[in-house]
Amino acid sequence: MKKPSKKSEIEYCKVCRLHHDHGSRHKYFPRHKYLLSTFLDRFRTKIADVRFFLKNPSVLRPQEQSQNRVWCVFCDEDIVELGSSFACSKAINHFASSDHLGNIKQFLSKNGPAMDCIDDFRITEANVAKWEKKCQSLGNEDASSFKGSCEQLSGTSNDIHNKLAFKTMDKIENVPAHHINVLPLQYNTNEYQISHSELPGVAHYGSYLNMDASHLPLRTDPPTNLPGNGFGKHSIPFRSKDYPSNQEEENKQIKGSYSSPVMTSISSSHSSDACGNVHSGAPPPWLDANDGNSSNVQLNQSDMSSFQAKIPGKTRKLNPNRVGAAWAERRKIEMEMEKRGHAMNSKVDADWLPNFGRVWQSGTRKESRKEFEKEKRKLIKTESISTESEPVEIQPYISKRARRESGENGSG
Amino acid sequence: MSSLLLKTLTKKEEIDRIIRDTIDEVLVLRFGRCTDTVCLQHDDILAKSVTDVSKFAKVALVDVDSEDVQVYVKYFDITWFPSTVFFFNAHHLKLDSGTADHTKWVGAFHIKQDFIDVVEAIYRGAMKGKMIVQCPVPPERIPKYQLLYKDV
Repeated sequence: MKKPSKKSEIEYCKVCRLHHDHGSRHKYFPRHKYLLSTFLDRFRTKIADVRFFLKNPSVLRPQEQSQNRVWCVFCDEDIVELGSSFACSKAINHFASSDHLGNIKQFLSKNGPAMDCIDDFRITEANVAKWEKKCQSLGNEDASSFKGSCEQLSGTSNDIHNKLAFKTMDKIENVPAHHINVLPLQYNTNEYQISHSELPGVAHYGSYLNMDASHLPLRTDPPTNLPGNGFGKHSIPFRSKDYPSNQEEENKQIKGSYSSPVMTSISSSHSSDACGNVHSGAPPPWLDANDGNSSNVQLNQSDMSSFQAKIPGKTRKLNPNRVGAAWAERRKIEMEMEKRGHAMNSKVDADWLPNFGRVWQSGTRKESRKEFEKEKRKLIKTESISTESEPVEIQPYISKRARRESGENGSG
Repeated sequence: MSSLLLKTLTKKEEIDRIIRDTIDEVLVLRFGRCTDTVCLQHDDILAKSVTDVSKFAKVALVDVDSEDVQVYVKYFDITWFPSTVFFFNAHHLKLDSGTADHTKWVGAFHIKQDFIDVVEAIYRGAMKGKMIVQCPVPPERIPKYQLLYKDV
């Protein structure tokens, strides 16, 4: 007799991401094992990336510090490389720490599997020591140039809009100091902007895309003195090539802002209002084009329906491999012709026999039919022979001795 | 009673016509005598089930005493009455019921459901292109008989 299973407290499984009351049995469930393997594999890839930097230490630039972060699933903390000079240095130190090791052991004991995979998720102290040596040697080599670039970069913010400013570092030296605190990039660049950099931006845009110039946001100060803007004299508001000239955008006025791209609206002068649109409930243009064809289509459909109604039985397509499919199709056509009054050329033969596999015949059904017809002919012949011949007189049997004796008696 | 509901055929032409005109449906031909008790029981089952299988089967009775029908009696090797032969699109379908004769069903059905099951099995097999199907009736309800070679 089975004991009722004990209900334990409700716990949350980090691997399965669900609450359960299975207790310690939960880690043996197949679903948990499967999810655990994927869970650990994902973390293994992260550790593999960190191990790459362990073998090949590289300098970490400040602008990339925020991107270089790792979430440790065992310790439930995010390791951000703020203030570190080498890539993944904080992550490497964390994975080598004793706290991390303790958390790994706790996790594995709670969730399984066995403890033999601990080393997959930590970095040994020996490896850390090697890495530090490599970093020191790397640091000594690039000490002067690295420090210089660090000073220059330290005064700037991490704003991505300043990326352009950093790309043109050569120009910075020649630019006065107050221009280093640059305004954020106001206009995004695109190919159109580059190709049409010489055109008078606003007016030409209006004619190219059928838009009203009054809708465009006006800029009073041409930002030609922007150090980062090396795309020509004129600032052209943002315009996507694929921006649809919908009737919905008719009265849209979008104000340009420093952080968002400036968009312009398009007037619907080229499209007539009488057509209507989706909101007014007008029919779509492709249906209007097929006005002539739609009626024909309907007629054809009605013909089809009447034709289908004539054919009795199922309208759905029957299996073409069914027994006697070819015969059935031919017979249907013949019956249709008969109904329509066409003269039937082929009358049913009196000797017609259906396809039948006889009991005592082997071979194909055609052979059994042939054999039957042969038997029939034989039967007819024997019957005819028997009727044609004279009636046989049946006499009693007389033995040879009796015949001899009667013959001797007759002679003697 | 069943003869009123089911068509009785006495001529070869009628049999030919019904075989040729039944398209994409199972044709059940019962060969027997309307005076025989087993045939009567069999006909009763057929008459009650004909509406249930009407969508995919047609049932007709053939009187074996008619002279015109003797051709078919010989052609189909009918020696026991009643014998039920199944056709689909003018092709004969065989039924493997564990007996000696797979070409027909010999004897009467015990219950309506057995007949419906047999017709359904034949229909399904025919739609799949099979010329012989397994009999769904359990062996205890299949009539037993002895088949003699040419009545020897």
